[in-house]
Amino acid sequence: MTLALLGGALAAPKKVDGYSSLGVVKGKPGGTLTLALGDSPQSLFYYGVIDNNLGLVSQQMFDGLVEFNYATYKIEPALAESWTISPDGKTYTFKLRQGVKWSDGQAFNADDVVFSYKNIIMNPEARAGDAGNFKLDGKDVTIRKLDANTVQFVLPRPAPAFLLQQRYFIMPQHKLTKFSQDGGAKAADINNAWPTNVAVSEVVGTGPFKLSGYIAGQKVSLVKNPNYWKVDASGTQLPYLNALEFLVIRDPQAQVAQFLAGNLDQLNISGAQFPDLKSKEVAGAPFKVIRSTALFGSPPFVAYNFDAKNAALSKLFSDARFRRAMQFAVDRERVIDTVYNGLASLPGHGVAPVNTQWYTNTKAQLGNFDLAAAGKALDALGVKDTDGNGVRNVPGGKDLEIDLTYGTDSVVYPAIATILQNDFKKLGVKVNLKGILSSKLLSTGLAGDYEMIVHAFGDQPDPELRKPIWQPGGALYYWHRSTQPTQDGGKPNTAKMAGWEKEIYNIFEDAATTTSASQRKALYTRWQLLFAQNLPVTPIAKPENIGAVSNKFGNYVYNLGVIPGYNPLPLMYQK
Amino acid sequence: MLSYVLRRILGMVPTLLLISVVCFTVIQLQPGSFLDQYLEDPRVTKETVETITRQLGLDQPLWVQYLTWMKGIVTQGDFGYSFVNGRPVSSLIWERLGWTVFLAVLTLIVSWAIAIPLGIYTAINRYGVGATITNFLGYISLATPDFLVALLLIALVLNTGGTNVGGLFSPEYIGAPWSWAKVGDLLGHLWIPMIAIGLEGVAGLMRQMRASMLDVIGQDYVRTARAKGLAGQAVLWRHAVRNAVNPLISLAGLSLPSLISGTIIASIVLNLPTIGPFLYDSLLNKDQYVAMTLLLFSALLLLIGNLLSDVALAWADPRVRFE
Repeated sequence: MTLALLGGALAAPKKVDGYSSLGVVKGKPGGTLTLALGDSPQSLFYYGVIDNNLGLVSQQMFDGLVEFNYATYKIEPALAESWTISPDGKTYTFKLRQGVKWSDGQAFNADDVVFSYKNIIMNPEARAGDAGNFKLDGKDVTIRKLDANTVQFVLPRPAPAFLLQQRYFIMPQHKLTKFSQDGGAKAADINNAWPTNVAVSEVVGTGPFKLSGYIAGQKVSLVKNPNYWKVDASGTQLPYLNALEFLVIRDPQAQVAQFLAGNLDQLNISGAQFPDLKSKEVAGAPFKVIRSTALFGSPPFVAYNFDAKNAALSKLFSDARFRRAMQFAVDRERVIDTVYNGLASLPGHGVAPVNTQWYTNTKAQLGNFDLAAAGKALDALGVKDTDGNGVRNVPGGKDLEIDLTYGTDSVVYPAIATILQNDFKKLGVKVNLKGILSSKLLSTGLAGDYEMIVHAFGDQPDPELRKPIWQPGGALYYWHRSTQPTQDGGKPNTAKMAGWEKEIYNIFEDAATTTSASQRKALYTRWQLLFAQNLPVTPIAKPENIGAVSNKFGNYVYNLGVIPGYNPLPLMYQK
Repeated sequence: MLSYVLRRILGMVPTLLLISVVCFTVIQLQPGSFLDQYLEDPRVTKETVETITRQLGLDQPLWVQYLTWMKGIVTQGDFGYSFVNGRPVSSLIWERLGWTVFLAVLTLIVSWAIAIPLGIYTAINRYGVGATITNFLGYISLATPDFLVALLLIALVLNTGGTNVGGLFSPEYIGAPWSWAKVGDLLGHLWIPMIAIGLEGVAGLMRQMRASMLDVIGQDYVRTARAKGLAGQAVLWRHAVRNAVNPLISLAGLSLPSLISGTIIASIVLNLPTIGPFLYDSLLNKDQYVAMTLLLFSALLLLIGNLLSDVALAWADPRVRFE
């Protein structure tokens, strides 16, 4: 027996409806929207390079089996019209939407899906593939075609986040066979598909737009895909827009200038740029600046290296009482006010507060900024100023002096680092700032080459998707590297874990296979409380999303960027 | 003369080899790796990073990487592969070379056309009001970085309600076939980079020209020419300017490498599709073969520029012939 989770009508197009809460109204066809791209895409094949700029363009050209609801972030049908999950949670059967065509008119069917998964997404040689997600406990997930409109995945064990992950863009078999193993090429050859000088007619997708031009360093042009499979509430085919242009503008200030000059119609901006643009809006400029609370997006945190090279520091940093004491000296309100211009809120512990499905309210554990309380807690730990030079000493003698690594080329990190340095100084903790490029923060962390670091990792709709970050021993759990396996793919070193870390480790192991949503919720709630209590890292703030959009356009729904399966742009229209 | 040129060209080979080793070493000394930036992407696992490292040959010892690259250049004229773009380096450079050369040559012509007359003018009217003002403006533009000028011009255009704030074309003309309207649009955009990039060059060249004019005006042969009764204009143009221009010829040769690295920041701020930002990115991303090829190319341009200016000098000034 199979459990039907979602059924749909047999009619091919998907009706996009029910977003009046987001301000979506009926639009009219026509018009061109111009957007910014931070750099030229490095290729036109989404799975060949890991590149955000290509991601932004690809998102308009391709679709996955499932997608997010724009308002609730719940998974709903896309190229798959319905699906069933077997009661044991191991067999996923997707019924594909009928009558969908590729942008060149060829029919879309199960062969395309099987081809995409087998040759590309599950291909370990595809640079931006995701083969790792199709191996559970070392065993492969298999995919097969049942008939022209049905595909089936069989998992070696239940994996409740599997459905959420199937937002991978499906690629056209008829255009890519020659680069694939099916077509006799080597597994790595798929990366060479669709280089930036490919003929535009080769790049074929099911998305709302299709490629119409690429000029290196200047512009990527897309036009409406006449075969797109979505319609609005009254049956008008989407997208409303005729064309989409991406101007390549590297400098964020230059992007703002182009937006102000009217050459760009929509732009995502930072909190630092908000006051200037907002005041222009209030003064009557022809655009609107829109704030929205964010589910995706990286909340910055401060982490202490449990395995710091300095043994005294390492001992101190591994002590949860120390991290809790230091949290009193983290002035979150000030960061929110001065660094983000008030456009941020208190963070969750691993889950964004706006994520109603998983978030547990841990605000009480964040504590208040209170240097006196921090001082008392440090005194209690024996971290006192014993030599009277104004700097506390670690038990045993030396000054408590910490190097703080942060990214210099970011809008927020330098300011956060300075605030921490100042407040810690008042507490008698000396902080030396150590600036590096933001792109090197993670590798520095993974190399264990830091004492204290300001960094950010993204929130995702399901904690399972961020397991390598938050599960002790995970590949990205870099503040306590000695918990990581000695060999790649081996078992994490549980002997090195503190009691609470072991508990979190088990929570993630259990939640990964538990099919009952309520049991998973309970597990993740426990995890968030443990996180808040023991602070593997100390989260600082959750920035809001801010977008600016020209008054010429309607139905603007904030879109952070490359989130496969979240693309409200087909609803936008020119007034 | 011909054998001199040939000897110079042959001499470039070991120099370039040495430079390539230095470039390679410097790029390897940079901390981190090309793959660092990808680690934070939820799509990328440790296995993927290892696979890509292997695909790109980054797991090979450094000397193997270097020799493979060198072998490709010597035997096949293949300058390697861009990690970032997944395409051969040479085709990527070609794509960006057109606008780079166009902008560089145009700025060079414009700045020479403005600077030389101004230099001559300020030299022969040393104490005049006009010359003093020109000199003063020259100092200011020398002291102002090009990107700052670019930002100021952008702000100015924005505040006067203009829309040409960067790039070479308005969005609708990018990629459109050539027409008079497109040329007009190009001219409407071109003046900002011309001023921003050219201004510094003008000021420097002007001062150089002024100095060597002042040098020459007092020379014996100029006084002799005057004493012979030659008209002032003729003395000036036939004797003084012709000799004063010599140091500028060597300067022109040395300015060739600025094609690549001269205007990086201004190009980023003004969003110009030139090679500069491409080099900047490749260094940041550790896209090693692109960075090395561009640095090597830059060194080659310097050597060629030097050679050309030596040859031009020999042609312009009988005193520096070699026979």
